Amino acid sequence: MNCITSSCIISQGTVLKDGHQLFEKKGIDASAFLLSVYQHFGLNYPKFYKMDNLSKLGWLASEILLKDTFEKENYQSEQVGLILANQNSSLDNDIKYFDTLKYIASPSLFVYTLPNIVMGEICIRNNFKGEHAFYIQDQFDQGFIETQVNYLLDNDILDACICGWVDILQEKYKAVLFLVEKQRGEDAVRFSAEMMNEIFNRA
Amino acid sequence: MSSTVYIAGLGVISGIGNNVAEHLSSFAREEAGMADITLFNTIHKGQLPVAEVKLSHDELIAISGLPEQTSRTTLLSYMAAKEALDDAAIPDIKSFRTGFISANTVGGMDKSEDFFAEFLADNNKGKLRNIFDHECGSMTEIVADKLDIKGFVSTISTACSSSANSIFFAARLIKNGLLDVAVAGGTDSLTKFTLNGFNTLMIVDKEFCKPFDENREGLNLGEGAGYVVLVSDKVAKTLSKAPYCTISGYNNSNDAYHQTASSPDGTGSYLAMQGALKKAGLKPSDINYINLHGTGTPNNDSAEGTAVKRLFDPTYPPMSSTKSFTGHTLGASGGIEAVFSVLAIKHGIIYPNLRFETRMEELPFEPVKHFRSGQYIKHVMSNSFGFGGNCTSLIFSAT
Repeated sequence: MNCITSSCIISQGTVLKDGHQLFEKKGIDASAFLLSVYQHFGLNYPKFYKMDNLSKLGWLASEILLKDTFEKENYQSEQVGLILANQNSSLDNDIKYFDTLKYIASPSLFVYTLPNIVMGEICIRNNFKGEHAFYIQDQFDQGFIETQVNYLLDNDILDACICGWVDILQEKYKAVLFLVEKQRGEDAVRFSAEMMNEIFNRA
Repeated sequence: MSSTVYIAGLGVISGIGNNVAEHLSSFAREEAGMADITLFNTIHKGQLPVAEVKLSHDELIAISGLPEQTSRTTLLSYMAAKEALDDAAIPDIKSFRTGFISANTVGGMDKSEDFFAEFLADNNKGKLRNIFDHECGSMTEIVADKLDIKGFVSTISTACSSSANSIFFAARLIKNGLLDVAVAGGTDSLTKFTLNGFNTLMIVDKEFCKPFDENREGLNLGEGAGYVVLVSDKVAKTLSKAPYCTISGYNNSNDAYHQTASSPDGTGSYLAMQGALKKAGLKPSDINYINLHGTGTPNNDSAEGTAVKRLFDPTYPPMSSTKSFTGHTLGASGGIEAVFSVLAIKHGIIYPNLRFETRMEELPFEPVKHFRSGQYIKHVMSNSFGFGGNCTSLIFSAT
């Protein structure tokens, strides 16, 4: 049985892990909020400052998702993968990049003009080398994610998979990540589209 | 499976020639393909040199007999793949399982860019047939149909290591008995997207590029296609002329360091070269020539040089970057340079690294400066390293 062993939501000024609110800061813009999350959780990863907001959002959610929950030593690098989706691709950063074209096109923004870079950042941080894919959808399609993740786990292509939604466009942002593992911890809940939907809508 | 995979045919088109013979002659004359832009429609005309294939769209359509709306990426692919297949001249090819493994990175984007210029100005304008073949796989399908290859068709797109990975994949398909014959390599045409993208990354040299030079300032883009025909033991025995060589080693390793740059210590490149040697059962000292990836960017050449030093020190084989002739042909470069590597074995030649002046400070070796013939060349290593740290090394060996 595939289980959700952890979940993390970062949305509009709040951070939740496994349904519990860990941090809240309202009334500041997206960039300032993402930085405050980084500082609040005492993270130390200088590359964070180079990332676009989509990568920062997804990376922060993955850090909180995995912290104190994921037992990395139980897995080979090749056994951990990612299936992510969003609505706005890398448009948040694309617009910022496009604005620089008037002066000097920015190389540092250009390298983030793809939505799947956020997965690269998470993989590099954790040394994950399993299958990964990023989909662009009108809205969070739990059934689709369920099918993809179950396929990877049930066919032993992966032993653990981070899946979910990471979307940002200017001041509107929402990340909902799930850690799905094969073994069942005591608190684990069964991985299903319905359960993802329920957690997704808590935020 | 330990069966040998042979190289039986070669085809190439780039800024320095439209076929194998023209390439050999340009190399011997030490004549680069870079020049002011003439055919390619871009705002950088007159400012950035590129290595264009010296055939216009209309000329390529006339030679190939493909439809008018065909992407330049497809046209270049067909030219080189056809030459390779004709060169191999496999008797009774219909009786074998034949595959076409072709790489590219831009797909039919050259045509899409024409479409969007019209479409963005007026949403009722723009010919939809110009975006129909936008995606990378379309190039491969069209050429496979035209060459009448039906056994297996696949497209690989892993940035600048794409076509080395096609050859790698094709070799494995043959070795494992899934195919008898494979035409493998890749193609890419010049597009606004790639030239503007590389220019944005500030790694395009406004002068002719100087790979592995201390004062290198970046790459020049090029275009073209290169294919080898790989055959099994069984097919090799039926050939009317001897195969060129074997493919003895291959490896792909990933740096996972940055979206575009290699890690400073060249970990991916080192692992790829080391893995290919291991696969071939060779020692570094067995290699007689390295065809470097050598783009001419500060980052690539420094990372690749560091990796070469780590693996080959203290004895270095002759090496050079033929991108000093062809420019960087992106997804085609691994295929084009595989053809050059095979020709080095066949003709006993080593290509010069044009415009090299000053040895890089951190390296104890430098590339070959002038064309050499009459060399004894048994094993050649060909490097292709792509964005995202996707590193592939191939080794070709005399039979």
